[in-house]
Amino acid sequence: MPQAERFRSVSSIIEFCQFARKNGLSNGVHQTLAALEAAKAIGLVDPHMLGLALRAILTSSKEEWDLFTRIFELFLSTSQSTSGADSNEGNEPSFNVHRPGAGSQALMGLFGNDASQTDSEGKAVSGASAHQRLQKVDLADVPDDDLLALEQISMRLFRKMSLRLSRRRKIKNLAERVDVRRTIRRSIPRGGDPIVLAFRGRKPRENKLVIFLDVSGSMNSYSLFLVRFAYALQKYFKSVNTFLFSTNVVEITDLLRAKDLPDALRGLSQRSAGWAGGTKIGDSLRDFNRQHGRRLLSPNTVFIILSDGWDTGEPELLAGELRNTRRRVRELIWLNPLLGLEEYAPVTRGMSAALPHVDVFAAAHNLESLLALEKYL
Amino acid sequence: MPTSPMPPESKPINDVDDLVRRFKLLGYVTDRALATPVYLVIKLGKPLLIEGHAGLGKTEVAKVLASMLGTRLIRLQCYEGLDVNSAVYEWNYQKQLLAIKIEEKIERTVEEKEKHIFSKEFLLERPLLQSILSEDASPVLLIDEIDRADEAFEAFLLELLSDFQITVPEMGTIKGKHLPYVILTSNRTRELSDALKRRCLYHWIDYPSYEKELEIVRLRLPGIEEKLGSQVVRFVQAVRQLDLAKPPGVTETLDCAQSAMSLGKQRLDVQTVEETLGCVAKSMEDSNKVKAAGIEKLLS
Repeated sequence: MPQAERFRSVSSIIEFCQFARKNGLSNGVHQTLAALEAAKAIGLVDPHMLGLALRAILTSSKEEWDLFTRIFELFLSTSQSTSGADSNEGNEPSFNVHRPGAGSQALMGLFGNDASQTDSEGKAVSGASAHQRLQKVDLADVPDDDLLALEQISMRLFRKMSLRLSRRRKIKNLAERVDVRRTIRRSIPRGGDPIVLAFRGRKPRENKLVIFLDVSGSMNSYSLFLVRFAYALQKYFKSVNTFLFSTNVVEITDLLRAKDLPDALRGLSQRSAGWAGGTKIGDSLRDFNRQHGRRLLSPNTVFIILSDGWDTGEPELLAGELRNTRRRVRELIWLNPLLGLEEYAPVTRGMSAALPHVDVFAAAHNLESLLALEKYL
Repeated sequence: MPTSPMPPESKPINDVDDLVRRFKLLGYVTDRALATPVYLVIKLGKPLLIEGHAGLGKTEVAKVLASMLGTRLIRLQCYEGLDVNSAVYEWNYQKQLLAIKIEEKIERTVEEKEKHIFSKEFLLERPLLQSILSEDASPVLLIDEIDRADEAFEAFLLELLSDFQITVPEMGTIKGKHLPYVILTSNRTRELSDALKRRCLYHWIDYPSYEKELEIVRLRLPGIEEKLGSQVVRFVQAVRQLDLAKPPGVTETLDCAQSAMSLGKQRLDVQTVEETLGCVAKSMEDSNKVKAAGIEKLLS
């Protein structure tokens, strides 16, 4: 039977490991060695059992686990005489675990200017009045010329805010605890009397920040600015986890860890795939609560959601999920750019269902309003 | 209730199927899929990471393995903020302070006193240290819910799993005589570090099939009525199809069956389910979802 003979020798095991790596698994040399040891322990007679052993060795997550069966079957069906390179020919599908999504047009539009310009090109905008003006301009209406200047000012101010927040925390921590171990050590030559006390700093409270950004339609420009906000605050908060949502939820935390802000932003457009149709805030929140809630929501977390509240889903769902989230975090802040408009009153079903569960309801339509958030963090 | 542990068979394990058989004798139903990596743990000495939802028997594997091998089970329960002191060792400060006081009158140099104070007598051995101090045989070390600990702890654990030695600054390096069999479990609430995952064998434990779950119920509750057993399993399997926040695991199936038995029921009817709904639905929202789906419908 061809299947049983596929794993005839040691080299076929090595071949399989290479094959697996080509097709989406992330195994390395150590795993190949382990596979050989396992083959020795189990024997090459039963391909099914060998497959189970190889699966335990070569996979390290549920996704890889699921992928393994197909890879294994595919390998069994190819003929034996191929070397690692040859096995790519023929109609061998490759299993791409990560499929890059189509970029959102609106996001791309705003990137066009930023990504290509370096810091040195843009000189500081002159005059305090220009600063004032830029702080107040609505983020959806920023004229192209001012875009870069606005970005520089905002990054500078966000960083200062971040620094102030971390200083505030250090001052709070001056009260210290006795370090028992070092105190005992120091008391030995004194016959055991703890005359000299050793101190250790109090454990700083570890704040976590979760930012939930609506990127549908008109919310785009506002959300982008909040991404910069998130990027700058990473220094202060123990962890900043950022999510984009429209009809579904996408995490962009890893992108924001890039050393360079333009790099981070470039990655954004690739990440948000297929945004179309109305916003589903409640659904997105539910998905978030399910998948990430246990990990990210804690009494130390501050949860910020940026959205105009235009929801095509059920308001009861939104209210319910928001209540679930609120229960588990220290503070829930809802930022609505529409609050910047004088005539705005939160009467849409979505927004009014959400309001009772929100601790802080604030505007986020320009730089000034974002800086005002400092007192809530 | 689990069957009483049988005395371990003294012969070494022949192969994977032998392991399946021995596990079954100890009340744990498994198949080749899980038995193969466990077999590799014993043969290759690599750690095994078992991931999956709650209530599916991840922790049980370690317990049964220890019973089967006739060796000790050492358990480290992970939580956020778990640190070296709670996981590896800690000095018994109170005893040390008392000893210092007592020894005041005794004539000894400071060095001698210090050596006495920081000796094994005053060392509190926590699970990770215990696992390498075993004198006679390799214990089974269960590191439960590693996803609840943080990355710093994972880095430390990785080091330990590579060298199996622990350095206590005042005492020197302690090397393990009998290396433990290590089983880690995770509920997948976060991604573990790549380095740790690659160090371990991996197994994903999933909800069992109807036949398997029925076998488990029959094995663990030997007195159960045929009809009741199959009804409970069918019911819980149907509940799992609903979109619950906390879908019931095998533990919940056994709870449900046991509750029905202790209520003296021989069949599962709507009333019994309502009385014991807390066995399978663990929150108000989930209870409501089950009721909304229609208990009668789920039972049919």
